[in-house]
Amino acid sequence: MAIEDVLSSKGRVKILRILSEIGELNISEIARRAGLNYATTNRHLEVLEKEGLVRHKRFGRIRIFRFNEGNRRAELVGRLMELWEQTDKSEKSVR
Amino acid sequence: MRQYSSVFKDESKLDINYVPPHLPHRSFQLDLLNQFFRSLIESPGKMAQRALISGRIGTGKTVLSQHFGLQITRDAQEKGINLQYVHVNCRECKGSLFLILQRTVSKFHPHFPKRGYSAEEILQVLVQILDDQNIYLILTLDELDALIRNEGSEPLYNLTRIQEERPNAPRRLSLICVLREIEHLDSLDPSSRSTLQHNIIHLAEYSRSQLLDILSDRGNLAFRVDAVSKDVLDLIAGLASSEGGDARYGIELLWRAGKYADVSRLVEVSAECVRMAASSVYPTVRKEVVSSLGLHEKLFLLGVARRFKQTDAVQMSMGEAEESYAVVCEEYGKRKLGHTQVWKCARDLSALGVIESCLSGVGQRGKTTLISLSRVPAVDLERELVKILSVGDK
Repeated sequence: MAIEDVLSSKGRVKILRILSEIGELNISEIARRAGLNYATTNRHLEVLEKEGLVRHKRFGRIRIFRFNEGNRRAELVGRLMELWEQTDKSEKSVR
Repeated sequence: MRQYSSVFKDESKLDINYVPPHLPHRSFQLDLLNQFFRSLIESPGKMAQRALISGRIGTGKTVLSQHFGLQITRDAQEKGINLQYVHVNCRECKGSLFLILQRTVSKFHPHFPKRGYSAEEILQVLVQILDDQNIYLILTLDELDALIRNEGSEPLYNLTRIQEERPNAPRRLSLICVLREIEHLDSLDPSSRSTLQHNIIHLAEYSRSQLLDILSDRGNLAFRVDAVSKDVLDLIAGLASSEGGDARYGIELLWRAGKYADVSRLVEVSAECVRMAASSVYPTVRKEVVSSLGLHEKLFLLGVARRFKQTDAVQMSMGEAEESYAVVCEEYGKRKLGHTQVWKCARDLSALGVIESCLSGVGQRGKTTLISLSRVPAVDLERELVKILSVGDK
């Protein structure tokens, strides 16, 4: 998928931002924090996982998602999220 | 006017959760624990260990296990072994194996979901985490009696038998069980009991001179030089000794006496401060017990205390207690819980020994829970709760 297709969805960007902030979470919690329903969240996570940006670990019935640290794109996107948050905060404090 | 400076240097050293670098009069027991668990460092994965620490309140059970935990994880780290120590209080987990394991798992995955699976499933999750991350774990179950009382033999049976399903896998989960009286194990089934009764460490009550050593150690860490005299420490040691060698009570008295000294702007903790502290701490209902209660438990208890203050009755019905609780909720602007939840509050408070409860018998229409307060004056309990609620939850 092209970058504009992956990042054109507000839901997916929200999910990436949440995972970058928290580290790892299960689907229900991601959905709750992102304000999305379970099915939509699951669908977005499938796309992100297919693109190698996130990965999951299964504990019985529970799947825990996190950034895919080994993937170069995931690292770059994670870094982008962090930088965005940092500059956002510093700009707000200047204002 | 000269500025007043507190008698304390660092009052956190008197906190209930503080683990001091040196444990007076417990080095033998510490050595024993090290002996029991030595195999975890010498040949990790070959054997899982279990130990039992028993002793009355304030004999150093918790601090001993925590001190040991810090020490052994440091030793393991030096040898490149990923040994972790997790300390869970069963009473705080309401005697539920599920909550105990949930809390343990959250040490490794802080955002692990809090519901949606059973106790058996989360035990499997824990084992999987230990395997995945090559962790050897010492899990301490403090106040184990709460777990036994609530769930019987099953939890211990499951915890001690996980290896049976994985005979060739490394043994990763070791247990330290902490409880006041070993008789609590009598209610377990024989196989669970036998797996626990191998390595028992019984902590005897501290003598007066031992208490004095402990208080001196803590005093040196917590107070400015010369702020507490030996006589004052001796007075506190005497009081703690008369409470069954309870070091925790002594440490709390020392802290409170320091607070009274600060309030009176004294440069030194006086004997009068100790006496004031002693009259404000009832050994059976301590600050740490009351402050660890949930908000609604505190509100319920406050309702009970106020009602007893107003009447001469020995007992009150659950209905009356609920009425008082509702008034307190209104006063603090909190929404009151439903009947079943309130009843559970009463049950938990009774399990903690803060109140006594029993079922009404013949002579009373219907069936209700009768609540009484036999150990602490209602006035004192009310004062303590109002103080805590005004700081924390209001």
